[in-house]
Amino acid sequence: MRLTNPDMKLANTISKGIFDCFSIWEQELQLIRKDLGVVLMFIIVPIVYPVLYGLIYNTETISETPLAVVDESHSALAREFVRKIDASPDVRVFAYAASLEEAKEWMNRKKIYGILLIPSDFNSRINRGEQAVTAYYADMSSILFYQAALLAATDASLEMGKKIHIGTEQAIKSVYVPLYNPQKGFASFLLPAILILVIQQTLLLGIGILSASSRERNRGYLIPCNKRYEGTLRIVFGKALAYLVIYISVCIWALVIVPHLFKIPQLTNYGILALFVLPFLLSAVFFSMTIASFIRGRETPMMVLVFTSLIFLFISGVSWPLSAMPDYWKYLSYLIPSTFGIQGFIKLNSMGAGLWEIAFEYRMLWLLTGFYFITACLIYRRQIIRI
Amino acid sequence: MQYLLRIAGRETGRIFSGKIYWFCMFFVPLFSCLFFLSLMHKGLPIALPIAITDMDNTSASRSLVRQLDLLEGLHVTATYNNFNEAQTEMQKGNIYGIFLIPRDFAQKTVSAKQPVLSFYTNNSYLIAGSLVFKDMKTAATLAAASVALQTGKARGYTDQQVMASIQPIVIEAHPIGNPWLNYSVYLNNVILPGILALMVMCTTVYSIGIEIKEKTVWEWLRNEQSSILPSLAGKLLPQTILFLLVGLLLYAVLYVVMQFPINGNIGSMLVALFLLITASQAMGVFMIGCLPTLRLGLSFACLFGMIAFSISGFSFPVNAMYPQIQAVSNVFPLRHYFLIYADQALNGRALFYSWPHYIALLGFGFLPVLTLRNLSWSLKYAPYKP
Repeated sequence: MRLTNPDMKLANTISKGIFDCFSIWEQELQLIRKDLGVVLMFIIVPIVYPVLYGLIYNTETISETPLAVVDESHSALAREFVRKIDASPDVRVFAYAASLEEAKEWMNRKKIYGILLIPSDFNSRINRGEQAVTAYYADMSSILFYQAALLAATDASLEMGKKIHIGTEQAIKSVYVPLYNPQKGFASFLLPAILILVIQQTLLLGIGILSASSRERNRGYLIPCNKRYEGTLRIVFGKALAYLVIYISVCIWALVIVPHLFKIPQLTNYGILALFVLPFLLSAVFFSMTIASFIRGRETPMMVLVFTSLIFLFISGVSWPLSAMPDYWKYLSYLIPSTFGIQGFIKLNSMGAGLWEIAFEYRMLWLLTGFYFITACLIYRRQIIRI
Repeated sequence: MQYLLRIAGRETGRIFSGKIYWFCMFFVPLFSCLFFLSLMHKGLPIALPIAITDMDNTSASRSLVRQLDLLEGLHVTATYNNFNEAQTEMQKGNIYGIFLIPRDFAQKTVSAKQPVLSFYTNNSYLIAGSLVFKDMKTAATLAAASVALQTGKARGYTDQQVMASIQPIVIEAHPIGNPWLNYSVYLNNVILPGILALMVMCTTVYSIGIEIKEKTVWEWLRNEQSSILPSLAGKLLPQTILFLLVGLLLYAVLYVVMQFPINGNIGSMLVALFLLITASQAMGVFMIGCLPTLRLGLSFACLFGMIAFSISGFSFPVNAMYPQIQAVSNVFPLRHYFLIYADQALNGRALFYSWPHYIALLGFGFLPVLTLRNLSWSLKYAPYKP
């Protein structure tokens, strides 16, 4: 069959487009390879940073928080109560202090982070069948210490209650079941979010450096004056392909190997994870290409973008609950791929959700991919017209 | 002196004419302040969504659900008849906890067969998970208590005796310095100065590195004989002053507008702020001295500055980390600032207990000495490598 002329032209355009696309891809990879700053962002940071954060948080929980006891009752019952608190893995009784003053001095010197005061009427009240009131003074430099110690003391007091039988106790029992992240681990909680964020932010910084460098090289333009750089789609696809190739390996490292190394729960299978990572990576790439185009000066990206990591982390709703977040920040967060990346990854990886449970995040990621793809195309289109 | 002032004057001009300085010195700290304070304006997250699985569906179980909803910390968004639906809802992230009322709850309660309430939390969201845990535990205890009080009364016990049998020891919590358990106080007192310190480091590195890059070193230093110390001092002084002003504005917002507690002496916090800024400047000089190209120096500053937020231990405490990491935490100015803050502002301790950290912050001032020769050489003789 012979191709008619217009068909021939179209076929030519397509084949030239694809050829150009791959040559832009190759060109971009060369640029990345030659730029130490970009290599740092695309390869070294994504390898080192997850490990660094993993090491910082890997102990997961606080254990044996030291606290002091001021026992004014000097009773066997009080000592039993203290022994029960000491038995908890979260706290450790550092010592009995002679007075509240002594204990406060220890607290000032950071030998202890809490003081349990047992009053002199402790024993007599309990023997009379009344509630005894103890006081727990907590150093609030860490809420984790406070929560753990209070819980240990409350559990010990409920434990003591089981010894006093009047026939009404335990009318209703209760059981606590932590469903996800059962050990309340800090790494299991924060590391997944950091991993996703490292991927997006290094992409953002690396692409920022690349596009600012192009501007410095090409008299203010994002693309060189070159025949290959004549079509919007081939530029956007060519560049994106270069970043994707690198970041597929980065994702395997950061989202599969690192969680495994630090024993973070991995409740998803790799197929689903891959399906999820695809729109996340694509949206992060086009998002970065869009944001990067506004930045002038090779060094500026780091200066102006570094603080956004904290903003993006908090706006994602992983630490500060979404239900307590003002609406305007929630809607702003919908523009950032990491919001859905973090939420989706946590739900898949830490909570064993399937794609159906994260349908909202998944759709939003594809929506953002489409949106930022269009913005990236518009930006490069303008560049072509201007050149 | 005149030399120093001339450089300071030149630097001030550069700061006010460069967009990037405006952005990093003023916009970033102030925007972050606005962002974090408005994000956490509730202080303690309340009305966190939970779901109920009510398998009993009697008036008794429904009254228990109402009691749960009355707790300030919780908001019951839905009731399901089976657990799986609730769990799916949790996997979607719509609820942070599930409270399960078993079949025959009412009947078992009446016949003293000890029904078991179960409650589930999602600790993948650690803050929300801990908060709903606390309230659901309270609800379960209250439910048991109310039944116990009724049966106790029937058997002739006083309320006091019944309560003593359930929980013989009451623990009154006294969270020192932050009685509201306000997370904004807890986090923003360190995050915001931390962002300031990060920007100080970056700006210091940038302002020196850009001279190398744009080959303007000879506008800055007069000639090869110029000593590096006064040149640096003249350059950094205007930045110190401006950052201090931004820091004071930040303090005004935190401690005057938001009324965050200062239980000690504000003077000791102001000194800490000043030392945090100068220590970060010193870190910046040290970094560009180690890696005297703008790009690498800046990367160093950014990567170091970001780690500071984790390793300073205001969210996950340093003494729960590995011993090696605990040791490393000391090379971060923000770590010392946080410890001073905890002593001086939060706990209102005597200055005596914090002096090692003031000394440490001062000590950062000597860091640049280590790389000064390298920096001086790079400024004067090294060709710019992109």
